[in-house]
Amino acid sequence: MPRLPPSLFWRARKDISPFAPVLLPVCRDLTSTANELRWIREHVRDTPSPVPDQLRVWDLVEKRGKGVPLQYVLGNQPFGDLDIRCRPGVLIPRPETESYTLQLASLLARDRPPPSSLSILDLCTGTGCIPLLLLHALLRTLPRPVPITVRGVDICPHAVQLARENLRRARARLSSTAGDLEGACSVAFLQHDIFDPSLLRLLANPEEAITTTTTTAAAAATLPQPLNPGLDLLTINPPYISPRAFARSTARAVRNHEPRLALVPEPLAAAAAESSDSTLEPHDVFYARALAIADALRPKRMLMEVGGLDQALRVVRFFLRRRRRRPAEGLFKTVEVWRDEPAAGDRGERMAVEGTEVTVRGEGLGRAVYFSVF
Amino acid sequence: MLAAPWVCQRCVRSLGRIRVSQFIRRASTDSAPRTLPPALLERARRLTAEHDQLRAALENDFDPKKAKRAGELGRIAEALKQFEKAKTALGELQALLESDDAEMRELARDDLEATEAQLDESSRNLSVALTPKHPFADMPCLLEIRPGPGGTEGRFFADTLFKMYKLYCANKGYRTRVVQYEASDSDCQTGDEGEVALQEAVLEVQEPGAYGLFRGEAGMHRVQRVPATETKGRTHTSAVAVWVLPSFSENAGSSESEADWDNPESDFYIDPAEVRTETMRARGAGGQHVNKTESAIRLTHVPTGITVSMQDSRSQHRNRDMAWRLLRSRLAQQRREAREEQVRQLRNSVLATHQITRGDKIRTYQYQQDRCTDHRCGLDTHNLPDVLRGGETLDRVMESVRTWLVNKDIEAVLADEEAAAAAAAKQTK
Ligand SMILES: C[S@@+](CC[C@H](N)C(=O)[O-])C[C@H]1O[C@@H](n2cnc3c(N)ncnc32)[C@H](O)[C@@H]1O
Repeated sequence: MPRLPPSLFWRARKDISPFAPVLLPVCRDLTSTANELRWIREHVRDTPSPVPDQLRVWDLVEKRGKGVPLQYVLGNQPFGDLDIRCRPGVLIPRPETESYTLQLASLLARDRPPPSSLSILDLCTGTGCIPLLLLHALLRTLPRPVPITVRGVDICPHAVQLARENLRRARARLSSTAGDLEGACSVAFLQHDIFDPSLLRLLANPEEAITTTTTTAAAAATLPQPLNPGLDLLTINPPYISPRAFARSTARAVRNHEPRLALVPEPLAAAAAESSDSTLEPHDVFYARALAIADALRPKRMLMEVGGLDQALRVVRFFLRRRRRRPAEGLFKTVEVWRDEPAAGDRGERMAVEGTEVTVRGEGLGRAVYFSVF
Repeated sequence: MLAAPWVCQRCVRSLGRIRVSQFIRRASTDSAPRTLPPALLERARRLTAEHDQLRAALENDFDPKKAKRAGELGRIAEALKQFEKAKTALGELQALLESDDAEMRELARDDLEATEAQLDESSRNLSVALTPKHPFADMPCLLEIRPGPGGTEGRFFADTLFKMYKLYCANKGYRTRVVQYEASDSDCQTGDEGEVALQEAVLEVQEPGAYGLFRGEAGMHRVQRVPATETKGRTHTSAVAVWVLPSFSENAGSSESEADWDNPESDFYIDPAEVRTETMRARGAGGQHVNKTESAIRLTHVPTGITVSMQDSRSQHRNRDMAWRLLRSRLAQQRREAREEQVRQLRNSVLATHQITRGDKIRTYQYQQDRCTDHRCGLDTHNLPDVLRGGETLDRVMESVRTWLVNKDIEAVLADEEAAAAAAAKQTK
């Protein structure tokens, strides 16, 4: 990273605050330094403590100045209308994820005739941000309230614990805005390896999930019924960065502070078998696995986050070839590529993959592959 | 609403030599003959007749459109009734004053003042009822505060005004929300009263009807004082612009209200294809590769060139929502102003020259003399600290501006009526 000119530090001190030069090296410019300092101050103001405010501000500024992501320093990140708790060890939710999650919610809410119940599964759920925002947005926008079943799965115990914490927080928010969530909806987070063949059995049979993965009675109470047989939406934002790209093209704050497990797919024996197809790279293993899970669960829609247009097109090609080879499994009629802002004005962009015209939606980088049976 | 007793002489003088101002003066402060200008009375009678017809028609056959129109005309019909009642009462009293019976005359004289006051009030009410209600009047509003060109002094004063309106709302019990608050320097430099150098602020007053209450605050606010940094004791003059925009509640949108933004007919409608969105997102691969905090968003409405930037929230999604709301509000206000301007052009009367346009100074805050003067209604108050605290004095200033605005509206209606009457007379010739 290029060194910042000394004059910039001087201006940060003079125009913003004596704290600003500490933040400048991580924020890189004056606007974002001023914004982050403001957010730190607002956070201190909104969370009462016996420690004097100025001291707390200094403490947080110093931490941030050492390169710790602001979301870990403050312990949260707004995500849609939710406030998602963040902790080291679990990936911070990204704005791109927020954009397509809201887009998915509005797709589901616009379905006609309106659904009479919904069932959603999120693999590699991390903080639980995707399914919780889907639930929150759906409860507010569906033409009438319907029972919604939500499951989130992650291999990492910290993530599952944090997702459950976030569920409690979202529930508190929801009960104040959308009435009683408890009554109609069932939400649960399970700790499981998605490559483990027992996953499908587990999802179909919640009793087992409770005995094997949850310890508290409160968590057990959130699992009153098995995942609805007709799955409406399957989402997955898996680790998708290759070890090489991890070393070269991730930001330092990501590399040094976020869990590698969430970013780089580990070489897995089970995965290797499934991704023997030459169209995929080793770091695409989770997509092959997700498609195999989709074969079994037959969701009406599926969305997979990817790390750019190249990866998106590899996944699309893999899917199309596979469908041609095994037409019986190919229940998805539509496959699309979504860019960072899928809702941005439609420019009618299309790309030819394997002789098929694929719609590319929105603006920005290639960010997700979307499948649907419609 | 009664004519405020503090509609002072200067206010009346500022209205100039037009007939209508004399009428307002008489109607509100004098005890001279109480009559409405014939053109207004004529209009009131005509609209009341229409009202009665509609009511009769509705008895047999309900039609929501007619019902709405009848509802709107209802207040005119009612005001006319009150006015005629007061006039009859006064007529009877005057007859009694001619009576041969001394005791009767005595009694009549005792009642005279109250009855005259009643007629004043009802004639004022009738004129107000005849002026069309501002289409945004019932909506919440956004107050945009921006310093004029020049140094920190104007920016400090922008913050003073921001705080003034916030305090005022708190005193009145109006709910507010800070939509945007951008200061340039935060720690090192503050003004005498601890104000910061404000670059731009947007305060939402969430009360329905706030637009009607604050509409008169729009314009240039001028400050004259000796800044803390001034060594030679010179008075500086700077200006701050305040704009008042219509706002709408969080869950507005597809309703019956003004802010039905899905309807292309609405002032709040924006074709998404005409808006360019820019984000400050990180270059590079994005997604899992970075965890930047930049959440700024900028919208440009291409046909008008209006831009809105928002970076207050850590959430880009929230910034985007707010930016869209602000863009809708700005556009609606601009469309409305353009239409008002058209009407004004058509009205070839002296009135045109009395309109306040965007660049005009509307009020001066003079620190040395402890004064706050509104240049439109001419009200001059001598308790500047109370004004800046959003106290009762500010309330008085704002109310007398509203009275002034209503008077302008009455003038406009009258001018239209007279023009129409003149045109009709020409035709019959
Ligand atoms: C990129 S993060 C996504 C987190 C979250 N869904 C989001 O969008 O912010 C990937 C997540 O996958 C989890 N994970 C990694 N390998 C897994 C596996 N084999 N089975 C289940 N989860 C796994 C990680 O613990 C991490 O939380």
